[in-house]
Amino acid sequence: MNSNETHAAQAFLAHHDFVKGVALKYAPWPGLVEDIAQQVFLEFLAKETRWDLRQDVRPLLATMTRLVAMRLWRERTRQQPEVVQKLAEHIRQLAEEREAPPRYEEEISVLRSCLQKLPERSRELVELYYYNEIATPEIAEQVNMKTDTVCRALSRVREKLRECIERSIQQGGAAHV
Amino acid sequence: MSDPDVLIQRYVEGVLSASEAEELHALLSARPELGTQLLRHLEMDAMLRASQDLATNSLRPPLLLPRRRFTVTALAGVAAVAACVTLTISWVGSMILKGANEDQEETTASVAVLTRGVNLVWESVVITPGTPLSPGWLKLKSGIAQIEFYQGARVMLEGPAEFELVSSGEANCTRGKLSAQVPPQAVGFRINTPKGTIVDLGTEFGLDVNAGSAEVHVFKGEVEVHSPATAMQELKEGQALSFADASTPMAADPAGFATLGELDARTADSQRSEFERWMGRSQLLNQDPSLRLRFDFQESAGARVLTNGAVNGRQIADGSIVGAGWTQGRWPGKGALEFRNVSDRVRLSVPGEIQSLTLAAWIRVNGLDRAFNSIFMSESWGERKIHWQITRDGVVRLGVAGAVGNPHVDYDSPAFFNPERFGRWIHLAVSFDAGTQKVSHYADGELMATLPLKDPTPLRVGMAELGNWNDRRQQGGVAIRHLSGAMDEFALWDRVLTGAEIAEMAK
Repeated sequence: MNSNETHAAQAFLAHHDFVKGVALKYAPWPGLVEDIAQQVFLEFLAKETRWDLRQDVRPLLATMTRLVAMRLWRERTRQQPEVVQKLAEHIRQLAEEREAPPRYEEEISVLRSCLQKLPERSRELVELYYYNEIATPEIAEQVNMKTDTVCRALSRVREKLRECIERSIQQGGAAHV
Repeated sequence: MSDPDVLIQRYVEGVLSASEAEELHALLSARPELGTQLLRHLEMDAMLRASQDLATNSLRPPLLLPRRRFTVTALAGVAAVAACVTLTISWVGSMILKGANEDQEETTASVAVLTRGVNLVWESVVITPGTPLSPGWLKLKSGIAQIEFYQGARVMLEGPAEFELVSSGEANCTRGKLSAQVPPQAVGFRINTPKGTIVDLGTEFGLDVNAGSAEVHVFKGEVEVHSPATAMQELKEGQALSFADASTPMAADPAGFATLGELDARTADSQRSEFERWMGRSQLLNQDPSLRLRFDFQESAGARVLTNGAVNGRQIADGSIVGAGWTQGRWPGKGALEFRNVSDRVRLSVPGEIQSLTLAAWIRVNGLDRAFNSIFMSESWGERKIHWQITRDGVVRLGVAGAVGNPHVDYDSPAFFNPERFGRWIHLAVSFDAGTQKVSHYADGELMATLPLKDPTPLRVGMAELGNWNDRRQQGGVAIRHLSGAMDEFALWDRVLTGAEIAEMAK
């Protein structure tokens, strides 16, 4: 990496979470956000000589992210059965028209403290599913339980984290889950 | 029909079948609030996927971010990991079901409720009728408070009194007079005094506790008196006992204690005088030159128009009632509108720009059924429109849309509404102060939050609705945001009211 690339990478990393927030708005497809951020990073670096990094790069990143998100969205959903495509499009419209856009940037900064406040069993579930990448049917099989039960438990953990994050942001600090 | 939570998880996991996708699509069309829920899960899912880096505290460039998918390959790849964590899984599994129930239900510590009060003056925190009461001290300076214990006993406490709630069937009284009605379901209800304990066996009795002694008077049925100084004594109807170091039998004196009939009469008097006082203040309020809109909800039953009573509010026409029906407001004789259905609303128009503003309303929230529960919302969104609403989490929010190209800003109070506040009349106010660049939220006259104003550009309320929202969408679903509850006063000023003015209105 030359020094220009290093500066561009630093500029991008400073706004990494902002990019993910924009990506979520235009491409609410599971797991796609990381791919979009990665692609925007590559394209941003590839054209680094064009950017004036002394200026605020957020408007530029927002436009790039939107374009990349729409492109990857089309690629990803095109592979799906028609009925899934229709559902995905419905969800994408909901995300675009949503009154409150995703506040990813603000929220992820307090996620860590909320994760630490989760009851131990919920934290373990997050680790199994998100960090060890074990799918819900596998978790369910191991514990001799229905997959639906594990799904509901995961759903509740996310809701609890959401509540904690919102409380934390309102209170300007960490809140209890 | 599948559980929406399960369908959402399967979508988030990327394993939704065609039939499940169809089912989820139909559900989203029928229940727009589910869409918001799904988007929230997707956002949290994205954050959790990225949080592994947070957990390991390593900041890596995104090129190095793991690509994770729940594909067959990925599952095979994690099989070894799964084997290693079997013990953990077993433990988590054993806790999932337990956790499920714990997480689902909200809880309350309350053991009784203050059902009525006449001329109440508290030494402790001010408590208004309808408030659920948790274990702890009630210090009443004057007035009569009617407390109903969850086990069924009803106590009328006369100030001055010091009374501690212990449980749904027990209390301590160290000072003051009370009368208790104990139905058969609450037999065993007990009140402890410094001089002894009264255990009720299904009856009505009076208790007078002062510095030197305690007197119990039985009006109906039977009580047991347990005093350290004497053996347990049973008192029957018409009997009374003064007990301290020694006990003295007496005749019961019902006239010495407040009765239910007396409380009814005094409650009616008190409500009438409060209502009259409000009507007097109402006329003065309407004269305020900065008041642009005021609905007092005193229209005749069946009216479909709310009259704007603000003397200087000629620019704002009367409101048009759609769907909502009339009900009783804060006092007998006071009108209110009940919002129950998706269609219920009051439509009005607030033309022009407003630099600074205060909104105030008396509302009774029955429940927070929706993601956003409207108090007063501009139609659609954008261009400095405002949405005053309560979120599902009980937060009171003033959402202000940005001007062209600018983001909107939500000004949130701390979570205020919870099940224990449902069903009670509550005064809410919010001010948008472009001068000092602050937004302030008030509940029952007390400041809940002051937040820095991020954009002082004037507001444009435009077409708006009380108790509902219309996004002016020509086709497709409209998000359901109606209030589940009632409103009996609403006002809008084009200036910032002081905390003292708001507190005065909330009295």
